[in-house]
Amino acid sequence: MTESLLELEGIAKSFGTISVLQDVNLAVRPGERHAVIGPNGAGKSTLFNLISGMFAPTSGTIRLQNRPIAGLPPHVINRAGLARSFQITSNFRRLSVFENLRLGVLARHGIRFGLFRPVSRIRAVNEETAELLSVVGLEWRAHDMAGDLTYSEQRALEIGLTLATRASVILLDEPTAGMSRDETDQTVELIRNVTKGKTLLMIEHDMSVVFSLCDRVSVLVYGSVLATDTPPAISANAGVQKAYLGDEAAT
Amino acid sequence: MEFFLISTLNGVIYGLLLFMVSAGLTLIFGMMGVLNFAHASFYMLGAYVAYAVSSSAGFWTGLIVAPIFVGIVGTLVERFLLRRVHVFGHAHELLLTFGLALIAEETVKLVFGDFPVNYQMPDALKFAAFTVFGTDYPFYRVFMGIVAVIMFVVLWLLLSRTRVGIVVRAAERLPQMAEALGHNIPVVFTSVFGAGAALAGLAGAVAGAFYPTNPNMALELGVIVFVVVVVGGLGSLQGSLLASLLIGLFSSFAVGIDWSAADFLALVGLGEEARSLGGLLTMQISSISATIPFALMLLVLLVRPAGLMGERG
Amino acid sequence: MARVLLPLALIGAFLLVVPPFLDLGWQNALINILIASLFALAFNLLAGQAGLLSFGHAAYFGVGAFAVLHLMASIEDGLAFPTPLLPLAGAVAGLLAGLVAGFFATMRSGVYFALVTLAIAELFHSLAPHWQGVFGGEAGLSSMRMPWGGIVFGSLIEVYYLTLAWVVLSILLLWGLTRTPFGRLALALRDNEQRVRFLGYNAHISKVIIFAISAMFSGVAGGLQAISNETANYVLFASAVSAQVVLYTFVGGATIFFGPVVGAVIFTLFAYLVSDITHSWLLYQGLIFVLVMLYAPNGLGGMIHQHLRHREHLDWSRLAPPYAVTALGGALVTAAAVFLIETLAVLFSREYEVARRDAGGGFPGYEVFGLDWSPLSPLPWLIPLTLFAAGLWLILRARQPITLLWQQVVAGSVPGDSTP
Repeated sequence: MTESLLELEGIAKSFGTISVLQDVNLAVRPGERHAVIGPNGAGKSTLFNLISGMFAPTSGTIRLQNRPIAGLPPHVINRAGLARSFQITSNFRRLSVFENLRLGVLARHGIRFGLFRPVSRIRAVNEETAELLSVVGLEWRAHDMAGDLTYSEQRALEIGLTLATRASVILLDEPTAGMSRDETDQTVELIRNVTKGKTLLMIEHDMSVVFSLCDRVSVLVYGSVLATDTPPAISANAGVQKAYLGDEAAT
Repeated sequence: MEFFLISTLNGVIYGLLLFMVSAGLTLIFGMMGVLNFAHASFYMLGAYVAYAVSSSAGFWTGLIVAPIFVGIVGTLVERFLLRRVHVFGHAHELLLTFGLALIAEETVKLVFGDFPVNYQMPDALKFAAFTVFGTDYPFYRVFMGIVAVIMFVVLWLLLSRTRVGIVVRAAERLPQMAEALGHNIPVVFTSVFGAGAALAGLAGAVAGAFYPTNPNMALELGVIVFVVVVVGGLGSLQGSLLASLLIGLFSSFAVGIDWSAADFLALVGLGEEARSLGGLLTMQISSISATIPFALMLLVLLVRPAGLMGERG
Repeated sequence: MARVLLPLALIGAFLLVVPPFLDLGWQNALINILIASLFALAFNLLAGQAGLLSFGHAAYFGVGAFAVLHLMASIEDGLAFPTPLLPLAGAVAGLLAGLVAGFFATMRSGVYFALVTLAIAELFHSLAPHWQGVFGGEAGLSSMRMPWGGIVFGSLIEVYYLTLAWVVLSILLLWGLTRTPFGRLALALRDNEQRVRFLGYNAHISKVIIFAISAMFSGVAGGLQAISNETANYVLFASAVSAQVVLYTFVGGATIFFGPVVGAVIFTLFAYLVSDITHSWLLYQGLIFVLVMLYAPNGLGGMIHQHLRHREHLDWSRLAPPYAVTALGGALVTAAAVFLIETLAVLFSREYEVARRDAGGGFPGYEVFGLDWSPLSPLPWLIPLTLFAAGLWLILRARQPITLLWQQVVAGSVPGDSTP
């Protein structure tokens, strides 16, 4: 049995009396591209929030490379090698695109409280930032403020920020939401390139993206994982169809 | 025993007074996300207006006019000033109310002078409510407590039993949803702000006749009220009540304790060492009683950062 | 770059060369302006750059002042410490106080943070008058500047140059900080603290360090004041001091580096020039602050910066007339307000109360602006009313052309024109 890089066992999360996740079991293999799909309100974003450290699960364990990370603060989990993007673009609007990415690069280099050098002089950091900039295709916007970017440029920046810390496990939360067909295809290619050799966990609604990109899919319905399998097997799965489309479609 | 009883009574009443002022603040913050720095200024304004009116028309008239006047001022402030800066963010709103508090203080100094004014309770109320172990307990203190209690009951009934109250509570939780359901949310906000101001004004009108009425009263009370909301949890009415009572009691008891930390340490034989160290250890608790609320706040922050009743969003 | 250096050089030259020729009042005012500028810049590190609004910065200013006074007293008693290095005590005290206070305050964010900082300052304010040993109780501490290295430090001009040196040094350090990774981190924290955490930064520790550095430079400012005044007492912890630095910073503009200096200069000069003429100068300050908050949200410095940023696209031939009209309108409104406030100040004063009593309860005449008026005649009320109405009308008329012109400017500027 392949050892899992990221493993969730018995994860449950309630907010007061509202139970969002009941008994989630998920195992992501190293190097795998794994999608999480499910109807709205199933708890997908909550799952990401739990994994990345925004809050702690009510019960259950999360293991990253066999290290328990449930309930740890986000910066600790990030340093352990897991990075996430946000469904609603979360960047630094008043800083330039270059600065946005550089911030992540600085963290990766361990320069978190650099007080004594002008940042413009740290060559390694600036070179790496420039490289990241071209990877996500934002070179010509390098010195524009993040708040001035178009929607798809901001989504690209969002992915860039997620990659900046060179985490080995990447969580992408609906990376193609709101995009046109062309933009989606471009983004899929971008994701394919940048996640080579990394492990990807992705929330998606667009099945074509899932099909072209992912090795396995987990279906999250009303707080627990209904099935985990390859994309073709999942789309043929009667239980999944029923969950999405109701009884009529399944028969 | 006498000390205990009187301190408890004083503490509860002072706490109720604090709640009267902090309730409006917490309600406004919970609903609009605006911390009104000038809230204690409404308190001060209430005292001064009551003073001005009562000089010519009697204490009770002053008591009625003050909250109405202050409520109107509050409504105007929200409608024409706060709403303007809403787009610039919460920090900006905070700064604006900060500036308004400054203007309020300076205007009061302009009109009434930079010294306390002689706002007194009417002779009719200057009697002893009861006697505790030989000491007369002033009725006016009890009067303040009664006004505060009536205020809560009315507030609670309004919020939980009436349609207006339901709309207000809905607007507090999900303003956009409430607006989508057809309620005029800006009007709700303005009214709540005005009502909160009126409450603070009433508290000022009542308390000003007992405690000194001077231009500094907004700051003095304001800081304590802010401590109350941090300790109790902003947005939580129960938290404010609990914190107000707690701070009221602590402050009241502290004023009567002439012991210092060194005296306490003397109980375990470390008195000499403590006294030779001097400084903080030899300060009598009664003299630093004003410091107690802030120390309490820091303690709560260490132990329970979200405040006693947690915070809202 | 040259555009920035030239005015800076001119100001620097002025500050270096001119003061010995000014009278003592002006020298003192300059010292206060320098100290206020440093305090405001230190404050803005936290408020404008990191987005953490502190309403109790007087605490670190005061702590710095007292620390320096203690050191001064030790030097008086024979400690061989160079007088010019006195502000170091303020820096160290400010840093330590900032670390402890910052740890508590940054546990919360936004409004809570502001309240905690306010309470910490009030803690000092209520404790100090009772603490004889450290704060000198109600009377405070006093000490004399001791000579060192051939300089007596007895005259004001010597204190001025010492202050200038320290303020310039501190400003250079603060400026340099904005260029470091940590300075960029502060800006990011202001924009999106959550994202900073998810990029692997411990946001709490970062904020504590920013707080401590801000407190450190505030301590230097306080120390400089202690050196200049040779005394300090618990009043330094009063909320008025914390309020002043908030005013300076936001009227000047928190979003650009030198904005707070603009505010500090304006308000300190205003206080120096106006406080002897009228009792209501604090009210004027409050009104200016509120007006700036309402109509110039990025402060006066922000407005200047806005003009500089778009200077290529500004058509001054079309912009100047409505600006002049607005300025005239503003002057009229200001005149009206001053007239009214000064009149009310006289009418509500104790002297007038006495005059009324002497006149048997009537409304006798009074004097303001060197002229005599009667409150019963419509004149002293019509004058401010007409001035105000006229000024307001002018301002409103000029508003539309200005708005239109700016819309064109902003629309016409090339994307990518923004400065980081």
